[in-house]
Amino acid sequence: MEDVQFFIEVLVGGLLSGVMYSLVAIGFVLIYKTSGVLNFAQGALLLFAALTFVSLHERGVPFWASIGLTLVLLAILGTLIERVVLRPLVNQPPITLFLATLGLSYVIEGGAQLLWGTQVHGLDLGIDDVPFEVGGVLISSFDLFAAATAALMVALITLFFRYTRIGLAFRAVADDPFAALAVGLRLTRIWAIVWTASGVVALVAGLLWGARLGVQFSLSLVVLKALPVLVLGGFDSIAGAIIGGLLVGATEKLAEVYIGPFLGGGIESWFAYVVALAFLLVRPSGLFGQKLVERV
Amino acid sequence: MSISVTPSIERSLPRAAIGGLTVAAILFIAFVVLPSVGSDYLFEAILTPFLALALAGVGLNLLTGYAGQVSLGSAAFMAVGAFAAYNFNLRVPELPFLVSIVLAGLTAAGIGLIFGLPSLRLRGFYLAVSTLAAQFFVQWALTKFGWFSNDNPSGIINAPPLKIASVTFDTAVGRYLFSLGIVTVLTFLAWRLTRAQTGRNFIAVRDNQTAARVIGVPVLRTKLLAFAVSSFIIGVAGVLWAFAYLRTVEPAGFNLDRSFQILFIIIIGGLASIRGAFLGAGFIVVFPLLLSRLGGELLGGIVDSGVVEMSQRIVIGALIILFLIAEPKGLAELGRRAARRLGGRPT
Amino acid sequence: MSSATTGALLPAGDLYPFEPAGVTRDPGRSRSGPAERGADVESAQPGAERDAVLAISGVSLRFGGVTALADIDLTVAPGEIRGVIGPNGAGKSSLLNIVSGLYRPSAGHVRIAGVDFTEVPTQRLAHLGVARTFQNLALFGGLTVLENVVMGLTSTIRSGPLGQVLGLPAARREDAANRAKAEAIVAFLHLSGVAHRPAGELSYGLQKRVELARALVARPRLLLLDEPMAGMTATEKQELAAFVREARDTYGTTIVLIEHDIGVVMGLCDRVAVLDYGRKIADGTPHDIAADPLVIDAYLGVAHDADETLEIEEAV
Ligand SMILES: Nc1ncnc2c1ncn2[C@@H]1O[C@H](COP(=O)(O)OP(=O)(O)O)[C@@H](O)[C@H]1O
Ligand SMILES: [Mg+2]
Repeated sequence: MEDVQFFIEVLVGGLLSGVMYSLVAIGFVLIYKTSGVLNFAQGALLLFAALTFVSLHERGVPFWASIGLTLVLLAILGTLIERVVLRPLVNQPPITLFLATLGLSYVIEGGAQLLWGTQVHGLDLGIDDVPFEVGGVLISSFDLFAAATAALMVALITLFFRYTRIGLAFRAVADDPFAALAVGLRLTRIWAIVWTASGVVALVAGLLWGARLGVQFSLSLVVLKALPVLVLGGFDSIAGAIIGGLLVGATEKLAEVYIGPFLGGGIESWFAYVVALAFLLVRPSGLFGQKLVERV
Repeated sequence: MSISVTPSIERSLPRAAIGGLTVAAILFIAFVVLPSVGSDYLFEAILTPFLALALAGVGLNLLTGYAGQVSLGSAAFMAVGAFAAYNFNLRVPELPFLVSIVLAGLTAAGIGLIFGLPSLRLRGFYLAVSTLAAQFFVQWALTKFGWFSNDNPSGIINAPPLKIASVTFDTAVGRYLFSLGIVTVLTFLAWRLTRAQTGRNFIAVRDNQTAARVIGVPVLRTKLLAFAVSSFIIGVAGVLWAFAYLRTVEPAGFNLDRSFQILFIIIIGGLASIRGAFLGAGFIVVFPLLLSRLGGELLGGIVDSGVVEMSQRIVIGALIILFLIAEPKGLAELGRRAARRLGGRPT
Repeated sequence: MSSATTGALLPAGDLYPFEPAGVTRDPGRSRSGPAERGADVESAQPGAERDAVLAISGVSLRFGGVTALADIDLTVAPGEIRGVIGPNGAGKSSLLNIVSGLYRPSAGHVRIAGVDFTEVPTQRLAHLGVARTFQNLALFGGLTVLENVVMGLTSTIRSGPLGQVLGLPAARREDAANRAKAEAIVAFLHLSGVAHRPAGELSYGLQKRVELARALVARPRLLLLDEPMAGMTATEKQELAAFVREARDTYGTTIVLIEHDIGVVMGLCDRVAVLDYGRKIADGTPHDIAADPLVIDAYLGVAHDADETLEIEEAV
């Protein structure tokens, strides 16, 4: 009985931390869906967002004003990225764009730290990380808060894309960029907006992760947590990002607890990748990706 | 390494001759002139790491530049090479050091083969992401299992001196020459490979996998071969990095940043170019030194090392983007064009 | 353009620059003269099916809801130039993709040189003596023209990577021989001037020609050409047509040709199959096809005089 309870506790903890992965992964999906780019700089964006917010807030700018200012900066950054990086590389193979975002991540990381310094900032969102008990299972209230925030984000994104003009345009571009171009949708503007939107996701994710890990350079490494999630869920599916995140979170924690001791621990650095790889070998297009026959 | 570009028989004879002469001149300078004029600082801080990184770049370029399989796990294969050489040397003391190096390369090739298996099903960044598995797994395994570092409590082990027969290369110049010899041989073999049918198979798989398959290129075998050969070379580069440059063997130096660094070397230097690996490595090694010196000159003592490091990150990242946009063939192509202009030859 | 085209532009004779070698051929099969082809092959169906270089039977192909091919039968006799025509999206390319194993048919099977396949193993295609070109350019852009053509000989290569790197005599001889073969065909297709240029830098028309050279260099028994003349000028088309015919006449290469230029098809092909919406709506000599009301319908939507149809080639 106790074993079962412990198992559930580990599972729930894993699922909740998986939500944090999903949150990062969603930022990738937004960009991938519209521009076919696997944006490695998403982690750097997250660092930039969190660092900007914390630094503003520490300098006495009120909470919401800091959020607003950070969003403005993110929008500028998004537009700039579209103008300077994406536009000249349009029509290049996806892997070239991927490498470009790798370079971009260096620029953003360097820039963020040059601007705000390299010290570690604490971030208190006012949520105590005290565990509470539900039916004998301990749950972290912070994890729960993060999960709720993630759910809210997903709901907002869904509403945005279903009901606003820009959202509809976004979906048109995601379905078929050429057709969208033909009917006069301005791709470049949509890209800029999408990069901004993923910046917003990065801010939310950055605040949650920052509250947990401290706002510092290593924050940009959460990108490495999101990649296996994306591989599992498919790069172009928000639902996939969520379920992939939950899966990775749960298997990772379970493996850490039940397999880790036999391997000397610390396996979470690679376990998700191996799971994702094993899964890919069975289903090369991920959980939700469509199976396409390559046109010849 | 300057290398003639055209394989044609009659037309390229002068060019091949020029290429051959250039290579001979560079080798002469590297083997004879530099050792008699260079300072220890030059060998220890610049040339030896340059050689190790250039060799790693050659290895990665075979895989990524020629065969089109992007890898983000190069440092892992360097680590495998370094630790394998250490253990062969430690556990089979009667083994000549050069044999240990070859065995280390073969070990890296074997591990590379395993982590290359996903390339049979995955392409593009799916594959790139999966190579991260190699990066993290290898680093974890080397840190976790004390056996690899002979249960050394700090995990940092001193590398034994480099030795061929009874000659020990334990001065700065000696370690440089040792590296230079190995790099020269492996680079020559890699260059031969790229010029042969196997190299053409690499490019065919990269440029059009379907057409390659239809023609009868064994696509799967070609990809695995690319992983194996590339990992072999990168593994030996890891041996040089640990034994000739750092003179310690530890997993920490072979992290993801190192993998990216090697990828950046071939992007900046030029994809699918042996010469590019050397140009890129030269740039990556020299550029930070220049930048910090420049920072020191311009701003005096007021800049701290953090600022310099961040500026480096920004500039390197920006250069990656710039090269991808403006000159995807990298420094190698810039150099070729400059040489052509100097030679006054028409396009 | 009149349907009696092509032919005399290039001198007959040593158009095809090599000695027969490599793939062993059944001489009885490959040397079928023009007289054996045509209508009487049709009438001798069962025998033709057995001797056919390529026999497609009952092949269907679906992509999700789209039926790209429905129950297609097609035989190609030895030494024949077999035309396949039809509007865009009719399923012509899909048919070649099935023959080369790139698509897997939902039903039916393919027989190549007497061997039956439900799914053709692409990797063995070259060994089966089949080569093809692609509708969209499929060259190796980073290799030179000559190197691309040498790649066409991949399936004949014996030497391993080690032998090549070390420059063992056998590997060197093989490489030199392959280069010579490639240079011959490059010269023949008037590509010598660009032989050492990266293929990716050439114009569209030239790239098409390089692809043809790459397919021909191994002297395949069966050659599949997917719109090889698209984007060429009339003169270039006629040159290419003459070459295709010469390849067949001299070495008995069997050819399947997808082409939109009706003039070329009528002048070159012995038999023509017409596809429309994945079905085969007609099959016969060019003459029969040109008169078939179904074909005219498929092409123009309305019935027209046959001669007029032939003149509106580019409208297809
Ligand atoms: N790989 C593929 N995936 C999905 N549909 C395809 C694919 N290849 C071909 N099709 C569809 O099959 C039909 C036939 O296409 P195709 O064979 O290319 O025609 P054609 O060569 O006669 O123009 C078209 O409707 C096309 O959209
Ligand atoms: Mg077609």
